[in-house]
Order: sequence, then C-alpha cells, then structure tokens
Amino acid sequence: MDAVRALQIENLHKTYVDAYSGDEVVAIGDVSFDVAEGEFVSVLGPSGCGKTTVLNIVAGFVEQTSGSVTVAGKPVSGPGPDRGVVFQNHALFPWKTVQGNVTFGLRMRGVAKAEREATAAEYLRLVGLTGFEQRYPHELSGGMQQRLGVARVLANEPAVMLMDEPFASIDAQTRRRLQEDLTRIFQEQRPTVFFVTHDVDEAVFLSDRVVVLSGRPSSVHEIVTVDLPRPRDWRTTGELPQFRALRNRITDLLAGDESHAVADPA
Amino acid sequence: MTARRSTPTRAVAWFLAPFAALLVVWAAVVAATGVPLRIFPQVTDVVAALVSMTASGELFVHVAASLRRVLIGSVLAIVTALPFGVALGASPRLSAFFAPLLRFSVALAGIAWIPIATLWLGYGDGAVIFIVWNAMFFALTYNTLLGVRRIPLPLLRAARSMGTGRVRMFWEILLPGALPSVVTGLRVGLGYGWRGLVAAEIIATSAGLGYALFLAQKTFSTDVIIASMVIIGVLWLVMDRLLLAPLERRTVQRWGMTAARP
Amino acid sequence: MTGLARRLGRSGAVRTLGPFVPVVALWWLLAQLQVFPPAFFVGPDAVLAELGGLLERGILPGYLSDSLTRLWYGVLFGLGIGLPLGFLVGMSPVARRLTWPLLLFFQAVADIAWLPIVIVWFGFSLTAVTFVIVYTIVFPLVLSIVAGIEQVPPELVRAARSMGAGRIQVFTEVIVPGSLPSVASGVRTGLGYGWRALVAAEIIVGTSGIGFMMFDARRVGDVAEVFLGMIVLGILWYALDALLLAPFEHATVERWGLVRQSAAT
Repeated sequence: MDAVRALQIENLHKTYVDAYSGDEVVAIGDVSFDVAEGEFVSVLGPSGCGKTTVLNIVAGFVEQTSGSVTVAGKPVSGPGPDRGVVFQNHALFPWKTVQGNVTFGLRMRGVAKAEREATAAEYLRLVGLTGFEQRYPHELSGGMQQRLGVARVLANEPAVMLMDEPFASIDAQTRRRLQEDLTRIFQEQRPTVFFVTHDVDEAVFLSDRVVVLSGRPSSVHEIVTVDLPRPRDWRTTGELPQFRALRNRITDLLAGDESHAVADPA
Repeated sequence: MTARRSTPTRAVAWFLAPFAALLVVWAAVVAATGVPLRIFPQVTDVVAALVSMTASGELFVHVAASLRRVLIGSVLAIVTALPFGVALGASPRLSAFFAPLLRFSVALAGIAWIPIATLWLGYGDGAVIFIVWNAMFFALTYNTLLGVRRIPLPLLRAARSMGTGRVRMFWEILLPGALPSVVTGLRVGLGYGWRGLVAAEIIATSAGLGYALFLAQKTFSTDVIIASMVIIGVLWLVMDRLLLAPLERRTVQRWGMTAARP
Repeated sequence: MTGLARRLGRSGAVRTLGPFVPVVALWWLLAQLQVFPPAFFVGPDAVLAELGGLLERGILPGYLSDSLTRLWYGVLFGLGIGLPLGFLVGMSPVARRLTWPLLLFFQAVADIAWLPIVIVWFGFSLTAVTFVIVYTIVFPLVLSIVAGIEQVPPELVRAARSMGAGRIQVFTEVIVPGSLPSVASGVRTGLGYGWRALVAAEIIVGTSGIGFMMFDARRVGDVAEVFLGMIVLGILWYALDALLLAPFEHATVERWGLVRQSAAT
C-alpha cells in the first residue's frame, strides 16, 4: 500500500563508544520500516535491543551513525515540535499546572492565548482531565499524569506522536484502562503513533502493525500486521482468537531471540 | 563525560590549568600596573613569603595551632552532637520541641558567640575551641535529628521485629539511617567552624592562621596575608577531599543513598 | 477549653515560639539561683532592662540599621553577581571546566580570611564589610546553581525541545525553575555565611553595628549587653528566614512538590 508516509526509517545504524571500557558497541544494526499517516505502529523487542534508541533518534535526542529518518518528507535533525514525545516517567514540568503543561508547546510556537485555552480544554476533555486545570502534576495520580503527558503532546498536533514505554511504570489495573483510553483517543483523533514497548499484549492490543526487532545488534525481525477490528477494548478484543494467535506468534518470534538478549543486558 | 577515558593525569591537568592561568594573569597585571607591595603583592613575593615562613618554622606553628583547634573542636562536637541528635530524633515529642530551638541556635552558632566565649573563657585556646565546637554542634545536632526523623518507619519496625535492643538500635539503625543528613551536618558545621576559627583567631589568640593574618595586616605585609589565605584555602580543600568526600563515598554513596549537598 | 488549647497548639506561632518559653524560664531560674557568677551570666530581666536603656538612648536602633544596611548592600550585590555568574557557569561546559577548580578554591578560602587584605585596600569602611559579605554570598550561590542545573532531569529538557522550545525558552522555562530548589538553598547557605561574616567584620573592623556593640560590651564586661546582642541577631535571622526565605520556598519549591534539598543552614 502506498499511503502517505508520516515517518520513514531507512537503514538506521548506531554505534557508540562505551564510556568505561572504551569499546565500540553496536546498538542498532540495521533497521528500516515506515509508518503511514494515521497509523499506529509498535516497536517490540527483547530488553536491550535498542528500541528506545530508535525512538531517541527519531525524536532527535540522539544522532544516528548512518541511515536516515524522515518525517513528513523532511529529514530529521534535532528535536522539533513535529515529533512530540510521551516519556516513560512522564517528564511533566513540576512547576507548571496541568493547564501550563498542556499549553506549553502552543506557547512555544506563539499561539494566541484564547486559542491556546480552547485547544487545552479540548484535549484535557479528550483525556478526561477537565476540572484539574489548576492542579500541579505531583497532585495527580500516576495514570492521570500520563494522560496529561499524552494530552500535552496531542495539543501540539505533531506529525508523529512518539511514545516510549509510556505505561511501563504504572500499575496493572490502571495500565489496562490507559490502554483502552489511548485506543479510543487514537480512534477519535487518528494521530500517527510510534509506540515502543516490551509488552506483547499491549503492542497487539493497540497497534495496526507491530515491528518485531531481534536482539543486539538489532534489525527488523518481522513486521506483523494486526488486523483486529476497531474500536477495541480488553473485554472483547482480548478474547478474540485472532488476538491470541497474534500474541502467541509474536511471543514465539521473541523467544527465538531470547538467547541473544540475555547474553547482553543493557 | 564526553572525554574518552579521561586519565587521572589529565584530570589533574584540567584541575590545575585554571590556577596556572590565574597566576599568569596576576603576575602580568601586577607587573603592568606596578601596584606597590603594601597594596598587592607580586606572585613571587607570595612565594618568597611562603618559603620564608616555612623556613623559619612559623608556618608550621600556625598551621599546627589551627589544625589542633579544629580537631579538638570537631571531635568534641561529634561526640556531643551525635548522641544528642539521635536521642532527640528518636522521640517525636522531643524533636518537635527542640527543632525550633535548634534552628534558632544554628543561625546564631559560631562567630556571634565570640564575645561571650572570650568573656567566659578569656582570650586563648579555650575560646577558639569553644567557637569551633559551638559552630559545629548545633548544625550537627539539628541535621542528625532531621536524619533520624527521615528514617522510613518500616525500617524501624523491621529492626524492632527482629528484636533489636536500644544500644544496637543506635549503632545499627538510627546512626547509619541518619548518615546522609549527618554528613550534610558535618559539611555545614565544619564550614561554619572553619570560618569561626579564622575569626576567633584574628580576635582572640596569639597563634594560628587567623593570628598570622591579623599580624600581617598591621604591618601591611600583603605578601604574608595572601600566603596565609592560600594556606587556609588549601587546608580546607584538603580536609574536604581527604575527610568528608571519602566518608561520603564509603558510606552514603556506597549504600545508594544520597546526601543533600549544601 | 481543650479545643482552644488544641487550636493554639496547631497554630504555627505557638509551635515555633512555645519551646522558647520553658527555655527562658530555665534561663531566669539559673540566673536567680546564681548557678554561674553574675559577672558571666545574667537573667532575662537584666537583658530586658538593658534593652530598655539602649532603646532609650537610641543606640540599638542606630547600630541595628547600620548592620542591616551593610547586609542589604552585601545581599544586593551578592545576588546581582552570583545569580548571573552561576547560570553562566552552569550552562556553559567550557566556562564550567575553566572556572570550577577556582570556584572550589575561592569557596575554600574562608570569607573572613579576606578581611585583613580588604582592610588594607579599603580601610575600615562600608566597602570593606560589603566586599566580604558579597564574597561570602557569591561562592556558595554559584556552586549551588551549578549543582542545581545538573540536577534538572534531562528528560524535561528533551520534552521541552520536542515541543518546540528554543535554547532561550529551554533556559527560562525549564532550567531556571528546575534549578530553583538548589538556588533557594544556595541563597540560604550564602545568607547564613554572609550573616556570620557581617558579625565578624563588625567585631574586627569595629566602628558600629550589632557585632561591634557586642564586642564593645565584652570589653567593658557588660554581660547583659552581650546577651542582648546575641538575641537580637537570632531574632533578626529568624525574621529574615520567616518573612523572606520560607515564603519564597513555600510558593515555589514546595508548591511544585519538589523536595527541599537541605533544611538546615
């Protein structure tokens, strides 16, 4: 299929020099895949396979050794508002209220106050944080904090939303709820999402496609298309035989790599 | 961090380079402006002063006098403040009562006591040691108290449920648990103590680095003044690097707790 | 009745001032029983009488305003130099590498040790005292700011950059507020040292001020005036802390749920 490509990653390769031993370490061997506009793609791999490094390169936090990343046709250099990032430990600004966090990106781009407030209200409603505008992040629960993290990025209307294991530090019950919220938001807004996780169920539940990486030095093992019907929720989607089949298949793919992964913890 | 495998020699070079630059600028400025010695000394004057003070044994006398007072004062402070701080911290009532008093005293500790210390103990060693002790005591007690209060309750319960007695509780739980805060207290207290020492020596004795400063000021010997200041700075750095830093590394950091650095 | 007592117990003023009541009582008792010779130790009544006398003659207000003027100039210039310098050194790795050893060293040369040379340069003047206070405040402040900038989580900078913040915006929106806990504790430490330096300078330079008053009283053996001086110094510090430092920290650091670094200076 030849839909508009929001994000294109070609022959990405990354090596770095270990600070202590001075040895050269290959973090990413050769990774290529792309994400279409309005598509939800998860990157899944054994721990230490460099999936977060891929995200950091796309975000512009880390520079690749070779290969290219293009977002909406433009090559990436440095961080920018076209690629909003949702961090594992939220990275909310503790000195800004919920409102201040949501409007941050808009303010940076010089959007007028009235428009900022309208946009903020819309996205806070979307993530269910209406009424918490004047609270500070530390006064919110972990789940609420991460919903704020999502709202903050979406309000900025990036070309791609990058999510780095956003629910990894949240308890199991809340995590399921947040996953359902995210899939509903995705349904409503159709952002382009690049989602990094090590949780197979999460990847299958949320994604249109799952990119399975091999262990170090990582390369794309296989790209699995998830053709489960939307809207999705755990109660029905989780029971589907296709869901289980996909989950088992991806688990097997990962298990084949386990020997590599364990040998080199990151 | 960005440097690949920075060797110890390299680190030392990086540490010393700014000092070398400072000396060059100093020498150049003094040479260019020709300020008289009674206003500002040339680098060589200071070196000469250091050499002659060392040769005459004067330097040794002053350094020994100052270090002896710091040593006695801080040992006294540690011996008195730690048990007191832990005892206060272990009881919520006592700590609630004493915390405001201690805060008040920390603000006053050290130099403000010089007049009363010299009145009580006369001019001399006793007053100076009292000032060093006093400067450290309150900061150390207060921080120890805070440290004990911050030990997580489950830790105390765990220790009690394993049948830890009172004395063992002090050595095995309360003291190590409060250590991050104690180290902060030591740092803050020693900082106050060191300053108190210099001030008290200027005012109240006839030996020590502060006294050397005071004498040199009377005769406008700026070379000796700067030389003494350098010695004071170096001694503090040595105490900090050789005593406090290793203590912190071996305990607080080794155990993965962090000390709040002032 | 018990309700009232409980309400009083919960109020900040009572909780802070309450402990001083038995201490003052004990002090009074010790003086009354003459545990120590009266030439060395006087009771609160004598200190109060002294206070009355000094107020009446206008000495205390005069000295107090002298001390506060010196402190004010010292703090003003100290913050004016320390804040920009701290952020400059903290933000530029090159500046940091070049100045860090010097900063450590100059922080190590105890501020009081500068007094003799400063007297040589400026004589027994306001400039001399101000110089020492500025010196005392600048170095702990710079060191704290640099440490504070280091403690700003890199993810927050990344988050800001990925939402379109430029270099200046990252500085004003992330670095400055993120390092504020450390800046606040640096100001506190600096003021604590500056306060002591002021007293020492007044004792040594000796023309006016609370420090001078105390030492002058010590020379003539007036214990009550020495005690009074210490109490005035303590109350002043408390007021400074309660009226300026604590509200500032309360409105920023605590409000944002950031931990205060060290409550003890």
